Amino acid sequence: MSPRLPRGLAQLPLALRAPKSIPTTTACHYMPARTFGIKSVTTPKPSRFNVGPDLPILKSTPAAALERKANTLPLRSGAVAIKKGMTGIYDAQTGTRIPCTVLQLDRVEVVSHKTREKHGYYAVQVGAGWKHPSNMTKSLLGHFSAQGLSPKRHVYEFRVKDESGLPPVGQMISADWFQEGQYVDARSNTKGKGFTGVMKRHGFGGQDRSHGVSLTHRSLGSAGPGQGGGSRVYPGKKMAGNMGNEQNTVQNLKILKVDAKNGIVVVTGAVSGPKGCMVRIQDAIKKPWPEVPAAAATEKSA
Amino acid sequence: MASISPIMRQLGCLRPLLKTPESILGRRTISTAYTPKPDAVPLPSKLPKTFMSQLPTQLRPDQAPKKLKVYPPPASARNTCKDPVSAVTQSQLSTLDPTGERKALFDYRRNPRSVKPGDILRVTFKNGDPFSGVCLSIRLRGVDTAFLLRNELTRVGVEMWVKVFSPEVQSVEIVQRSEKRKRRARLYYMRQPRHDMRSVENIVSNYLKKKSALTGQRRERR
Repeated sequence: MSPRLPRGLAQLPLALRAPKSIPTTTACHYMPARTFGIKSVTTPKPSRFNVGPDLPILKSTPAAALERKANTLPLRSGAVAIKKGMTGIYDAQTGTRIPCTVLQLDRVEVVSHKTREKHGYYAVQVGAGWKHPSNMTKSLLGHFSAQGLSPKRHVYEFRVKDESGLPPVGQMISADWFQEGQYVDARSNTKGKGFTGVMKRHGFGGQDRSHGVSLTHRSLGSAGPGQGGGSRVYPGKKMAGNMGNEQNTVQNLKILKVDAKNGIVVVTGAVSGPKGCMVRIQDAIKKPWPEVPAAAATEKSA
Repeated sequence: MASISPIMRQLGCLRPLLKTPESILGRRTISTAYTPKPDAVPLPSKLPKTFMSQLPTQLRPDQAPKKLKVYPPPASARNTCKDPVSAVTQSQLSTLDPTGERKALFDYRRNPRSVKPGDILRVTFKNGDPFSGVCLSIRLRGVDTAFLLRNELTRVGVEMWVKVFSPEVQSVEIVQRSEKRKRRARLYYMRQPRHDMRSVENIVSNYLKKKSALTGQRRERR
């Protein structure tokens, strides 16, 4: 059994200290003094995370994501164009008619850059058209004014592989940014179809015209199994709803004609969306990158 | 206090006329009373900088909202070229039809001497295989202008759309014009057995014979 202090001695200092000392001063008083020159005898623990400069990049990191994407990211920016309509062009050699879409570039300029250091990826922000400054929020207007650019109606981003694909801010992207014969991907919103039924939206077969079917000739039928199937409608069930007005990319469109003066780019085939919609065209990712003459690039940037 | 004489008291009816607009306003309820916004008291002209921190930030002269410089837009391609589709069409036509001859031949809206529906035409192609038939309709669509020919080959009705400006088309001849102006622009009723013209080969071969006699050249058969 440990020795005990006499009862009177143990209680006396507490009773004396309580009224005259303030808790903050006592805390300072009992703080241990800093110790110098003493090191831990235990070795530091290795990191729980398998990351290091000499280790391979983990698959779920942004760095690995960029590395995976490197082969499918274009080397240079694209352009925003307006779909103007379709026509045909007769091939000079074969004499066959090639259906084509006419696109027009309207004051397309580089607005800003997205960089790996700041945003996590490389991209070129491109603006087109013109919007009256009074119809614009001040923050967006300041974004353009800071770059010395007029207010743009349409602003889009084009991802590029690395910083060599970032043209200087304020550079005009004209129609001769693209070459005749090269391939591009055209990205635009499809024509909106409104609220449509399942037959139009998902290609369902509908139901019989007769054989006792009444009033449900175009409906979807059953939405799923009953008891045993969970007695619920599974997520992602195809149903009626809004159709169209969603982004669609048409790949590998050949550029047939380029007219820098009028800003015209003519591509083969059809491009999604109505006339007057905005189309984003960029070098096709499934074709070899076009060879851009270095002289032309420097001349444009100057 | 001297009371008003009874004669003067009659004039009391004029008292409302003397009332000022303020007194009328004063009778309105307090909820509708208009109080003008007080003018902002200007800052003292020589306010020492040490007092600036006492002002709310929006009142400090150096914190006034900055005016953004709005830059004018560059020249627009939309103004230089209002209709790019027709510009592409025109550049096509300038190479495919430099003289405008083909355009005039089928421009039935403007040219009275043009081909009209109901005429019998003969088209020769670059690959040397001619086709003749009666023109059922003309579709005016710029560079995609085309016409529909109907004939009968081996007792089977045959129709063919021919693009006017196609480089494959070598020549188009009018074999026979329709006697009367057709009252339709599209003669699709001629597909019905009752109106079907059947084969036009006889008319075309007669035309070719006459033509070779006139030009003194021997033409290929059909």
